[in-house]
Amino acid sequence: MNVKDTVIALTEASGASGNESAAAEAALEILKKFCPDAEYTAGNIIGRYGAEKPERPLLVLDAHIDQVGMIVTYITDEGFIKFSNLGGLDHRILPAQPVVIHGRKDVKGVICSVPPHLSGGKAEVLSYDDAAIDTGMTKEELEKYVSLGDSITYDVHYRELLGSRITARSLDDRCGVAAILRTLELLEGCEPAYNIAVIFSSQEELGERGAAIGAYTLDPDIALAVDVSFAYAIGEDEKKCGKLGKGPMIGISPSLSREITDKLINAAKAEDIPYQTEVMNGMTGTNADRYSVSRGGAKTCTVSIPLRNMHTPVEVIDLEDVELTAKLLAGFIKGAE
Amino acid sequence: MKELLKELCLVNSISGDEDTVRSVIEKKISDLCDEYHIDPLGSLICFKKGRSSAKKLMVCAHMDEVGFIVTYIRSDGTLSIAPVGGVDPSVVIGRQVTVGKNRLNGVVGSTAVHNLSADEREDPAKFEGLYIDIGAADKEDAEKYVNLGDCGYFESEFAEFGDHFVKSKAIDDRAGCAMMIKLMQEELEYDTWFVFNVQEEIGLRGSRASAYSVAPDFALVLEATTAADIDGVSGQKKVCSCGKGPVVGFMDRSTVYDKEMYALAFKLAEENDIPCQTKTMIAGGNDSGAIHISGRGVRTLAVSVPCRYLHSPSCVIDFNDLDNTYKLVKLLVKRIPEL
Repeated sequence: MNVKDTVIALTEASGASGNESAAAEAALEILKKFCPDAEYTAGNIIGRYGAEKPERPLLVLDAHIDQVGMIVTYITDEGFIKFSNLGGLDHRILPAQPVVIHGRKDVKGVICSVPPHLSGGKAEVLSYDDAAIDTGMTKEELEKYVSLGDSITYDVHYRELLGSRITARSLDDRCGVAAILRTLELLEGCEPAYNIAVIFSSQEELGERGAAIGAYTLDPDIALAVDVSFAYAIGEDEKKCGKLGKGPMIGISPSLSREITDKLINAAKAEDIPYQTEVMNGMTGTNADRYSVSRGGAKTCTVSIPLRNMHTPVEVIDLEDVELTAKLLAGFIKGAE
Repeated sequence: MKELLKELCLVNSISGDEDTVRSVIEKKISDLCDEYHIDPLGSLICFKKGRSSAKKLMVCAHMDEVGFIVTYIRSDGTLSIAPVGGVDPSVVIGRQVTVGKNRLNGVVGSTAVHNLSADEREDPAKFEGLYIDIGAADKEDAEKYVNLGDCGYFESEFAEFGDHFVKSKAIDDRAGCAMMIKLMQEELEYDTWFVFNVQEEIGLRGSRASAYSVAPDFALVLEATTAADIDGVSGQKKVCSCGKGPVVGFMDRSTVYDKEMYALAFKLAEENDIPCQTKTMIAGGNDSGAIHISGRGVRTLAVSVPCRYLHSPSCVIDFNDLDNTYKLVKLLVKRIPEL
């Protein structure tokens, strides 16, 4: 499995929160190579890896399959689409941004940008109330293809940057999905000490809703939320950030299991895998928050891939971090033997 | 003309950096005119004989597009940029861009929205806070690939969408360049100078020099102009609308246009069933501003394609407007010298 090609295939498929099917199907197809019985159920992709043995604890590897996006709420008489956000968008970046409306067919559009003569020289951030999408169609034509409730994603394609860095939309959290798939590949031929379930969960960006169902359904003993976190660039707070290319960020937080944190760190040290720590002081804002308190509770930790420009069409990661995350996860699973 | 427009729009050439687009244009026009030369600023000045030499007509468009220039390489390997031409930072933040002669891929990054205060989230982007990320590990790494003064370009696809609309960067003013190239393929009534100008976007620089050199009696400027016929905008504030044909203004921030030429444009449009509109606000400007006060004065008119989201990576025009603009321009070059 080529990590870069997997990340590209996953990010080119669309899956705004609550509308994940295209991205989910793309992920399911790859997952089936490792988990032949994997299925798309209640919005989540769930697969079980290897044989289940009753004496072994259940480890769940979670990454979310949804991406931030938008949803059609209204079509004006002039044929402009009004929309609301799916997840936390940076609306400073919206003007003149190309988008795709996922209707009966994919329809290209551009978010209207207000020219300077209308703003009276006073720059203001475009509000959702004032924002609209231009599709170059009349209302009548548009309604043949687009319905209220259709999802919208940024119309942008991946590009390679210098070294092993790459830009794409929805790297949050398709790179986490890719890291888990690569982990399964690394596990081939070894007998893990855990029963392993994989979940690519829906609606994380709307408040970890897919993971709420997934955590209850799977009832793990241990859960690892494989997501992204902030990578440093000037302008960011160094204290809150990891660095690109320096390896996965292992979570440390009162809400996470210190035992699992330590095991992850030990696994990294044992296999000489570069890693970083991400210290939080409470909830993590990831699916980990769901797993830790689902049913009677689970030992939970976060493993995060550093990412720049989160929730924009120009997210940036270092592919080396995806490979290192997979190595860490595989090391953690093998180390428990 | 769509293929020609696509080819021209996808060429990266900002103001002061027109060599690339000019060489593309030069190849296309070298056999279409009687003589041509490149002036000291880089504008391409072409002459084509017509049946009559009674009057000197100049038709022009500008080759440059808006973009960025690299002003500094930061310690983390990201690049500080300044705008070249009038660019709203809101259409730069969160975009893919291309940098320098080696055409490196880059993105315009920003602090993650999660890490902004409520006030900061409502604070529009400013160029001081924007940077290009080419994936360099640090300053030393970036310096291997980038020099200060390198140019930055919007990255965009040329997409057809909706009902005969097209979307691309640089439609301003590669649309004008495309119309000129097509016009140069026609038999002409009058001797005509075709000028592909440089540096319009940073203050009408190229046209100031080329208008002096050509010293025409009449000038016809081919442009793309702001259409604000978007959601929530009504009446005069639309300025002009896509789908309603070429835009012929009576006045903008740079020029009061020649009244007889203005009247002729609407007369020809009406006689030939070409939709035509004027601008309903005094806004914007173009090379006419430099040309009409050149030398002893030049009778000047601008004919523009209405364009939404001008100076962004997603300029949008109705392709029918470009066709209709071309039809009107073709009629105008036959009749203007008779005035």
